[in-house]
Amino acid sequence: MAKHVKIACVCGSGTVSSSMAAAKLRDKLKEHGYDVEAVECSPISASTTLGAGGFSLIACVSPLNEDFGVPKVNAVGLLTGMGEDKVYEECLKILDAEK
Amino acid sequence: MANIHEELILVDVEAENYEEVIRKVGKTLFDNGYVKDTYIDAVVGREAEFPTGLHLDGIDIAMPHTAGVHVNIPAVCVAKLAKPVVFSHMGDPDTKVDATLIFMMAIKNPDEQIDTLQAVMGVFTNKEAIAELNAAKTKDELFSVAKKYIK
Repeated sequence: MAKHVKIACVCGSGTVSSSMAAAKLRDKLKEHGYDVEAVECSPISASTTLGAGGFSLIACVSPLNEDFGVPKVNAVGLLTGMGEDKVYEECLKILDAEK
Repeated sequence: MANIHEELILVDVEAENYEEVIRKVGKTLFDNGYVKDTYIDAVVGREAEFPTGLHLDGIDIAMPHTAGVHVNIPAVCVAKLAKPVVFSHMGDPDTKVDATLIFMMAIKNPDEQIDTLQAVMGVFTNKEAIAELNAAKTKDELFSVAKKYIK
């Protein structure tokens, strides 16, 4: 059975680019046995979103300087297609380590 | 729902800086009723705080946008600039890109417009689409390429 994981996707408006990244993460990580619950937020609403707890990682499309004690992955590669595999690798490394 | 409209395809847009790009391209969205009168200022403000430039394989672009409250009808405005304009990179504001193509997004609800977002992202990562967009010189050519890839 797919393992349920929560991922926060951060972009400037907390909507457009984070939704793009979230869609890709959901599809790709599903192939690796993860049922991704993606929550989109902006750097401003990040503390509220992450305050809910239970997040495995933060996928950042815009820079997020604060440290929430949750591993951060630079997810810009999902949008540009350059270094896309590296983004998945980093995410999987974090998620697989949780098992 | 189609999000590419002929009246939202622009070529040879003259601008000296990113704000001028946003104001000119945004005006087209506003004049055609797709966005509210608050949209342009909101996009300019957002771009300053959270830039949207992207360095793709074969082209630099920017995808200015803002919150859905400023949008009437979801659409994507595709604009080719007369000459490259500097935008900051989304992932790192200290990195600059020389954007020649603008995808100005009028997105009302990202969950409902996820197909459009995925189509636009599909263009970003599609070398063939980028080559065709680079080659398009006239409004007709740009319209047919945009329509082909963003349904």
